[in-house]
Amino acid sequence: MEAPPGGQGSVRFSRKGCLGPASATMAHKTPLGSSASQASCLDLWREKNDQLVRQAKVAQDSGLSLRRQQLAQDTLEGLRELLHSLQGLPAAVSVLPLELTVICNFITLRASLAQGFTEDLAQYIQQGLERVLETQEQLEARLEHGLRGLWESVLHISSLLPELHTALHHLAGLQAAFWLSTHRLGDLTLLLQTLNVSQSRASEDLLLLLKTWRPPAEESDAPLTLQNARGLRDVLLTAFACCQGLQELIAGNLPRALSSLHEAASGLCPRPVLVQVYTALGTCLRKMGSPQRALLYLVAALKEGSTWGPPLLEASRLYQQLGNTAAEIESLELLVEALSVTHIPEAPQLLIEVELLLPRTDPASPLHCGTHSQAKYLLASRCLQTGRAEDAAEHYLDLLALLLDSSEPKFSPPPCPPGPCVPEVFLEAAAALIQAGRAQDALTVCEELLSRTSSLLPKRPRLWEDARRGTKESPHCLPWVSATYLLQGQAWVQLGAQKEAISEFSRCLELLFQATPKDKEQGPASSCEQRCTSDVALQQLRAATLISRGLEWVASGQDTKALQDFLLSVQVCPGNRDASFHLLQTLRRLDRRDEAAALWRRLEAQTELPQENATWSLPLYLETCFGWIRPPDRETLLEEFRTSLLETCDL
Amino acid sequence: MAGLAPRVEYLAGFSCPLGGLAAGKPRVLCHGAEIFLSTGSELVYVYDREERLLIAVYKFPGQVWDLELLALRRALYVLCARSGIYCLSLDQDNRSVSRDDKDDGDDQDSEPPDPVIPVHPDTCVLPDATLHAFTVLDDMLVTLAQGPTQWKVQLFERPCPGEDCRPGGQIGEVELSTCTPPAGSLGEPAAPRFLPVLCCASPPGSRAPHSHPWGSGGITLEGALFGLLFGPDASLLESPVILCGLPDGQLCSVVLKTLVTSRLAPGDPKALVKILHHLEEPVIFIGALRTEPLSEDVGDAYCDCVVALGHHGRTLAIKASWDEAGHLVPELREYSLPGPVLCAACDRGSHVYHSTPSDLRVVDLAQEGSPWDPTQCDGFPGGLPSLLCPASLSICSVTTLSVSPRVLEGGAELLALSAKGRLMICSLDLRSETSHPTRVTSANAGQKIKELLSGIGTVSERVSSLKKAVDQRDKALTCLNEAMNVSCALLSSREGPRPISCTISTAWSRLQLQDVLTATCLLENSSGFSLDRGWALCIQVLRSSRALELDSAISAVTYTIPVDQLGPGGRREVTLPLGPSEDGVLDLPVTVSCALFYSLREVVGGALAPTDPFKDPSLDECTPDVLPAQEGVCLPLSEHTVDMLQGLRFPGLAAPHTQAPGSLSPARDPIHTFLGTCCGPGSQPAGSASLRAKYLPPSVATIKVSAELLRAALGDSHAGVSLCCATLQWLLAENAAVDIVRAQALSSVQGVAPDGTDVHLIIREVAVTDLCPAGPIQALEIQVESSSLANMCRAHHAIIGRFQPVFIHLAAWSLGDLIRYTASATGGTSCCPSGYRDLSALPQRPALGGWGTLFPGSVWDLRSSPGSRPGRFQKAGREAALSWAKIGTAVPRPEAKDGQREVGSEGKGPRRKSLASKPPSGWG
Repeated sequence: MEAPPGGQGSVRFSRKGCLGPASATMAHKTPLGSSASQASCLDLWREKNDQLVRQAKVAQDSGLSLRRQQLAQDTLEGLRELLHSLQGLPAAVSVLPLELTVICNFITLRASLAQGFTEDLAQYIQQGLERVLETQEQLEARLEHGLRGLWESVLHISSLLPELHTALHHLAGLQAAFWLSTHRLGDLTLLLQTLNVSQSRASEDLLLLLKTWRPPAEESDAPLTLQNARGLRDVLLTAFACCQGLQELIAGNLPRALSSLHEAASGLCPRPVLVQVYTALGTCLRKMGSPQRALLYLVAALKEGSTWGPPLLEASRLYQQLGNTAAEIESLELLVEALSVTHIPEAPQLLIEVELLLPRTDPASPLHCGTHSQAKYLLASRCLQTGRAEDAAEHYLDLLALLLDSSEPKFSPPPCPPGPCVPEVFLEAAAALIQAGRAQDALTVCEELLSRTSSLLPKRPRLWEDARRGTKESPHCLPWVSATYLLQGQAWVQLGAQKEAISEFSRCLELLFQATPKDKEQGPASSCEQRCTSDVALQQLRAATLISRGLEWVASGQDTKALQDFLLSVQVCPGNRDASFHLLQTLRRLDRRDEAAALWRRLEAQTELPQENATWSLPLYLETCFGWIRPPDRETLLEEFRTSLLETCDL
Repeated sequence: MAGLAPRVEYLAGFSCPLGGLAAGKPRVLCHGAEIFLSTGSELVYVYDREERLLIAVYKFPGQVWDLELLALRRALYVLCARSGIYCLSLDQDNRSVSRDDKDDGDDQDSEPPDPVIPVHPDTCVLPDATLHAFTVLDDMLVTLAQGPTQWKVQLFERPCPGEDCRPGGQIGEVELSTCTPPAGSLGEPAAPRFLPVLCCASPPGSRAPHSHPWGSGGITLEGALFGLLFGPDASLLESPVILCGLPDGQLCSVVLKTLVTSRLAPGDPKALVKILHHLEEPVIFIGALRTEPLSEDVGDAYCDCVVALGHHGRTLAIKASWDEAGHLVPELREYSLPGPVLCAACDRGSHVYHSTPSDLRVVDLAQEGSPWDPTQCDGFPGGLPSLLCPASLSICSVTTLSVSPRVLEGGAELLALSAKGRLMICSLDLRSETSHPTRVTSANAGQKIKELLSGIGTVSERVSSLKKAVDQRDKALTCLNEAMNVSCALLSSREGPRPISCTISTAWSRLQLQDVLTATCLLENSSGFSLDRGWALCIQVLRSSRALELDSAISAVTYTIPVDQLGPGGRREVTLPLGPSEDGVLDLPVTVSCALFYSLREVVGGALAPTDPFKDPSLDECTPDVLPAQEGVCLPLSEHTVDMLQGLRFPGLAAPHTQAPGSLSPARDPIHTFLGTCCGPGSQPAGSASLRAKYLPPSVATIKVSAELLRAALGDSHAGVSLCCATLQWLLAENAAVDIVRAQALSSVQGVAPDGTDVHLIIREVAVTDLCPAGPIQALEIQVESSSLANMCRAHHAIIGRFQPVFIHLAAWSLGDLIRYTASATGGTSCCPSGYRDLSALPQRPALGGWGTLFPGSVWDLRSSPGSRPGRFQKAGREAALSWAKIGTAVPRPEAKDGQREVGSEGKGPRRKSLASKPPSGWG
């Protein structure tokens, strides 16, 4: 099994030997025996390649995932071995089409099995290119320019080797897929320009380049391939259009996103990709201000297949934008239902597919629909925000059960960042329960929260001891602990237990006023915790607690104590109008007219100014809490006050 | 912790590759009486420690990298390299096959090895070639796979034995930090040297209890530490957390309950993965400890300290503590333990065991001093010791360790697998700590004293062995120093008498009814140093006549005689037989050379050999390199050539009383003796020699030397004696008979060669006329005559050998004296033996020293008797020629090789001519 020397004459001869009867003019250049054995060896290898490709297709159709995996792995090994034996011989043009085809098949199978391209696959491509150059004895020429240089020189000489044309285009397709998946678009553009040099003038537009690229059709007698160059081209086209559309969408270039996405949708798309493309089109159109057209695409996406998550989430956003709360909540409920079904992904094809080339969706992507529990949380919080307290409470309780009940066989995920952290979910649940009038349940939730995090709390006996001693350092307090006390107090308020309520509020205040901004750096800090500990949130929390306690003092008739708390709350949070109103009312009740008048004037002045904290969104539980302590009739109060003041002035 | 005396019990040996087991991949687990063990090969052994027998051996399709046991479910999970995870059910009926097979051999000691049960690839529950580590939770399977660029943690629903991992089985996935895939050529990736480590940590209240809290990696942490390390979310969710130690040194954690992803919503590594630390060396072990003593009211003992060990011994300990203000803060300490760490384990207390190639050590992470008292306000809990003091357990090269779940009172039981594949149980008694002196009661005092004594015993044993090693090295160094001195003394004294000399003399003596020529070597130490152990006298006897033959190797015999304690001024005599050998042959000349040899291996080798069994084996490997390739030092002392003149005996000269009977005809053939007696007294001398003497004229060679030159060479020592006598005495100076020769003032002497033939030396004064035109030159003619051509040649060679150094010496001042010598044989034909012809074919080499200039164009002729057969001449000629070649002189070209030139031959012409005209065909 002697390989033919790299020289042209013998190579041409053996190729002709393969195709048919050897031409008599060339016959003298190679001994007959070696030609015969070589031809038969080539046939053998080809047969091996074809058999392996057929085996991969059998594996593809095999239903059992284990058997499928093993078959595919075996095929991969077989291809690797075949490649080894082929590359053990000096490169020859007659063998190269087969060798390049085997490389392509190997890369295709390997990438689809590993669900991604790896650097060593690039090495296989490089090896193939070097083998091509080896036949032309030009190996040293372009090695220093890396893969790009290799491609340039290979494609340059490929005009001399028409027999390699098909295989080289196939390999170029894989190289393009590799560069697309690793975002090396510059290299990709150059490669396509070189490939297209005969068809069109150089263009910078990758989409156009991909469209104009025409890989030669495979000959009928060529060795079998897992995926041919044309199929690969179509996949590349769709994948690139899809990627570009999504990128433009995130970047905000809506018209360009729209055209790219349209391009992707018109190509050959597997269903899951089509759902994504339609959803992205919906998002794009919603942002462009055409909700009806967006809705049409979302409906089309829902009709398309099994992945309902992204279009449903997008639909809820759309309805929220339209102000159709009922439809929004409904679509969220559907979303929860859709995500609760375990989605069994189809086994990926043993081909380079569009999904393989798409970047993985990150949470920032509009196509990210999150998990079941994240959807559940979204539903619950939207219910709470839109005043559906009963539903909200139910949904929160469901969510907590999902998160905490590990006895359930199906493993359920929590909402993970960038959503709220788990303590906040507890707090919101408690707030929703209070809102829904289920104070007792709220207390249970709060106790559960405290008990589960008790080990993280500062040591109780030490805390009191330090307080008694008047230690200058105040203990670090986790923000949600004080919030829990606040909500517990509110629950007691609802239950009519003033004493308990006041003690809870006092405990909360004690923690809050011991926390200094310096403590922020200490202790376990997660992103959500930092948000909770921010100065604004802390101020608002203090104000809310002070107002709550003040209201309780008012209810028990201790107006002076109430006045103290309201005064303090105005001090800690000057921007909070609720505090000022409560103070105003108390001052009026205590008949301290001068102070009341001064405060009134300040309030009047404030109304003309825009709300300074409008940009700051409070945690949902705190917002809900402010809803409870808001004076019911602020405008009438102001009106009454104005008239009374005018009366006194008149007098 | 002085009293850590381990009791080691060897259970069984398992096959291990040459060079021992590599650390990292072997595993040993224990459940009840069953020990599950893998050595890194394809086999997993199940061993019963109660019955002390191997229960089953499973053979997997690939190398086994990890084992996990789910005891409650009776399932063994096995990670196979480049294959995936297999699950075996450990129910008895499954193994009944192997049990049945074994039953017949149970009673015998030499029972055949258990049948190896091959594990079918179908039992693979999770096929994935990229898996590097995994851990099993009650209902989940966590795997760590090496992706193309990143490590990937994947979470699966736990597959049961015999059940394929369902397509929807994957629950979550997240990518960890980047990893560098093993660099290598295309094709199969090389096996990684270090595998990542996984450890599952659970919060205290977790409702999913781990079935193997102490078996393989699951740990339960105290709430404070858990919350501190993994955040409040993990505490609130009461979620187990996976700790990953990667080969690049990264230590990161993933909260399992947050690790839920789908294909459309992959886990965000930034949110899910928390990097706890970076050890900057491969992480070998992650575990947890209880460092604080339990207070009575707390029922459960949760771990309050997480430790991680790196390969080079860097150790991280993390503990939760409260700072001055009562804040919960992590206390993080790094220690450096002696590495390289092969494996490690934690017990239920505060001890970390870690194994290095040289020792198994234990460190105690319990806080120093008194335990924290909760009522004390200013004392803060959780102080980690500032320094770790590893205590040695004196067990080396343990490749995998696990703490057995058996509780020993105040101690621990370790299961260990040594690098040699031996499974052992080490029972440690940790009670004997100084912190509990009150526990010593009279009952156990005796036991304690015994332990202490045995401890002292082992220590003193070790000390004495170390001392011995040191002594040995000291001694070796002293010896080396002496050897250096001796070598310097010998090598520096090129001129003058050498401080250590060896003189060689020969004599005939009678040994076992045979006369033997013996050489006596006298080693004299006149230096100031003594020759001690390690020195040997090497005497090489080279039979030079055979040195040019093909099998020359056998002709050299070396005798090595140890010189045992030769102090200054001491002398030692060694006598060696030179021959003749049993066949009566003694080929002269024989070269005897003496040398002193100093054996480094003998002196230094012992000191360098690993005497310490606990020494790092990596150090032992270099020992052979320390010794030089030559195993010693060789100092040549002297060389002596025993030639024919020394080997001659003169029975006729000896005084009658000294002549022993029988020595007259040495080494006589019994048949010759018989024939001799048959002929009777008065008859002709018997034997072939006498026959030859009768019918063959003896071969004769003459050497003519200028008398003046000779006189100058002999100097005054022979004044008063005729030059002939003086020359004969000089020639025979080294012969034992020289005294008689001197006494009788002989100028000719009849001697006997070692083989019994006679040799006649005749010296007379002649005048050489044809050499110098100025007139005749006074010369001395030395005639050698022997019936054996070989002996004649040997004697001739010996005589030339005597003259050679003298004339080289004299040539310096009397170059003008031309010497012409002619060797002629009379009574033979003018044919030349082929041996000489062969020699003539040799290229004429330039003469050594002044030899060539002294004897330019020497004329050779050798005649032999007419009746002799050519073969005999041929042989003799070659022997003579070889003798010539040996002494390295330029071989004079025999100009009369075709016999046409005649020198000193009368009346034998026609016969000679006839022979010359018809040379035997074989001679051509």
